[in-house]
Amino acid sequence: MMDERTILLVLPILVLQIALMIFALVDLVRNPNPNGPKWMWAAIIVLLNLIGPILYFVIGRRNY
Amino acid sequence: MKQFSALLLKEWRENLRNYKIFWIPVVFILLGITEPLSNYYLPQILDATGGLPEGAVIELPDPEPEQLMVAVMGQFQLIGMLVLVLAYMGSIAGERRNGTATLLYVRPLSYTSYFLSKWLMASAVSLFSVWAGFLAGYYYTAVLFSAVPFGEFVAFAATYSVWIVLVVTLVLFASASMPNAGLAAGLTLAALLVLQLIHSLFGSRWEWSPLRLPNYAASFLDIGPDANALAWTLVISLACLIILAATGIWFAKRNRAKTKV
Repeated sequence: MMDERTILLVLPILVLQIALMIFALVDLVRNPNPNGPKWMWAAIIVLLNLIGPILYFVIGRRNY
Repeated sequence: MKQFSALLLKEWRENLRNYKIFWIPVVFILLGITEPLSNYYLPQILDATGGLPEGAVIELPDPEPEQLMVAVMGQFQLIGMLVLVLAYMGSIAGERRNGTATLLYVRPLSYTSYFLSKWLMASAVSLFSVWAGFLAGYYYTAVLFSAVPFGEFVAFAATYSVWIVLVVTLVLFASASMPNAGLAAGLTLAALLVLQLIHSLFGSRWEWSPLRLPNYAASFLDIGPDANALAWTLVISLACLIILAATGIWFAKRNRAKTKV
């Protein structure tokens, strides 16, 4: 079922999700004062794909 | 004018440093890709999740590309709108809390430049995201099914853009008028939900209402909207936009006393 075409089609989604995850993780590492423990945010970002990074950027960054 | 460009530069840096300029487009692109892709793999998904008796054959008609683009817009209307509201809810209300406002408000600040710089930056990021998402969806639809005529697609996305700018203005207005970011997001989402509810209950004849913009956008992919009604809708949307921006500026000025020092 996972033929070459499928992989090519799904690859952009994978790349974008990983990029989003990396953005969030880099920001988390450099953030001196996140809204909650860092290990918790790291778990949320890595485990919940798409929603995890969004949650971190919206709630965890404390930018408001 | 000089103040406006300085404030715009500040907004640009802020959007760059809190990664909004990256993650919001990525979310919209993912939404745009997922819709045609999950339609394409629907037979396999149904197969893998089971629930069908052995030997059952279902023929799924290929979805029309136009339907897929409208479905992408539906995703933007739900998740995309939520992301934009949450991302920009703190633009003004948050600055009062985190101290940026203290640095700004002690100077002779033009609140018009202040509000408009935020509005311009937020609109630019949102429009970039929406177009990137639509183009990704358009590309995947064209590759997997068939292409929507490009002219119709541009008219569709352009009409939807007007709606997005209107929503961004509403978020900034809420952020200026409410005491904190959470209330600003609550006000915006409540206003959008209530207006859409009222609209679906009583609005069958309100052809000029700005809430029709997404419908008119979708109808560009079909037979095309009534040009006269669309023109009036655009005029009224522009009027709403100016009223929201003007009251937003007024509120931003009035609420400066609420700044936490």
